[in-house]
Amino acid sequence: MDPSQPPVENYANPNTCLFHVLFKGAALAFYILSALFFNSFVIIFVVTVLLAALDFWVVKNVSGRILVGLRWWNEINDLGESVWKFESLDQESLARMNKKDSWLFWWTLYLAAAAWLILGVFSLIRFQADYLLVVGVCLSLNVANIIGFTKCKKDAKKQFQQFASQTIASRFQSTVQSAFTLV
Amino acid sequence: MSHNDTIPLYQSSQSDIDEIENMMNDGFQSGPGTVLPARPPSPIRPSIPVSSSPFVQSNLPPLPPSSSSAAQKVTPVPAPPSLPPAVNFGSSEGSKTIGFGSPPNTLTEPVWDTVKRDLSRIVSNLKLVVFPNPNREDPGKALRDWDLWGPFFFIVFLGLTLSWSASVKKSEVFAVAFALLAAGAVILTLNVLLLGGHIIFFQSLSLLGYCLFPLDVGAVICMLKDNVILKMIVVTVTLAWSSWAAYPFMSAAVNPRRKALALYPVFLMYVSVGFLIIAID
Repeated sequence: MDPSQPPVENYANPNTCLFHVLFKGAALAFYILSALFFNSFVIIFVVTVLLAALDFWVVKNVSGRILVGLRWWNEINDLGESVWKFESLDQESLARMNKKDSWLFWWTLYLAAAAWLILGVFSLIRFQADYLLVVGVCLSLNVANIIGFTKCKKDAKKQFQQFASQTIASRFQSTVQSAFTLV
Repeated sequence: MSHNDTIPLYQSSQSDIDEIENMMNDGFQSGPGTVLPARPPSPIRPSIPVSSSPFVQSNLPPLPPSSSSAAQKVTPVPAPPSLPPAVNFGSSEGSKTIGFGSPPNTLTEPVWDTVKRDLSRIVSNLKLVVFPNPNREDPGKALRDWDLWGPFFFIVFLGLTLSWSASVKKSEVFAVAFALLAAGAVILTLNVLLLGGHIIFFQSLSLLGYCLFPLDVGAVICMLKDNVILKMIVVTVTLAWSSWAAYPFMSAAVNPRRKALALYPVFLMYVSVGFLIIAID
């Protein structure tokens, strides 16, 4: 055992990571392999879109919260306007998040979207409009999650910067005040 | 996000909400840097939620304590307090330690709770849209808590029913039905927006999807009994029901002079779906 090697961080939430990857992988695998087994487009469509929708729900509600501490949703306020809300952990907890978890989260999100894009190009080349529909739906679900979480992360950074400048300002203010009282 | 729409199922939860409200009122008075307790002090009870936010909003100033407390009670968090409210970083140590001190729940339990919450939301949305109820005159309030799961299920179900009834070209029937309904909903929403109406895109999609429920019922009946006269009657009835369900929302969204322009395409779409149901054999 090499004493100078830093301890390798393990996944902090293996179950969540598993589910995060499971539905995405199942949707992609089913779509790709189904042509070998099923003749019926209906089954392929329904099962793939169902898995993609389940994946969307899992990522948005479960793994987003646990793996990276982010959450986004849409609300309609009393004035009847739609408001996008972003939620994130405070900065310390974010820094404490397991690096492997968040790496897995973001990379699988991007890779899944890229995979659907490639499959979409294939079906476009083959002029299969039906399959393009399936790919389109799955891709849009993935992209929605990506956009939501990216916006959420940016919002979190902005919040933190605002907070940081706010604390600096207030601390400065209190220092000045205490300086004046001492004088 | 009106707290008024949350209907607690158990009487005792009301007192917990009041408890939390008091705590928060005290907390808010002491300044912007306070943090709400992350963990609800009592076991989470199911209720019909309006908003799904478990935490303090990051984009709003301290919002009415009641709604966030009600939401806090409702939303299960897998490691419940491991996500303390984000905004007010000016933190009390207390919330953070509560945060990471509690044992994380197993994944299954809270997921089940979230599923139950989403399912109850679907049911409540369905009841609001399709069945007669006092809230129908105020569309903004009724479908405040839109979701797309209900419409998704209904569209897929309709497509499957039509596809099952068809004796040939099942796949095409399904694909056409799905594409027609999905694209139709999007286009109808755009129509309302282009007419200068005030409607929220997803809310309208959600509404049009929920209004498909009567047609779903009609399609199932038509699938079971193959009599043409019966089919026509059933389809006419369900068609009228769907249009009646969609009417208040769509008409309230546009200028009264343009009501017909907004409603006619909706009616047309439902008629075409009705024809699809009748014509399938």
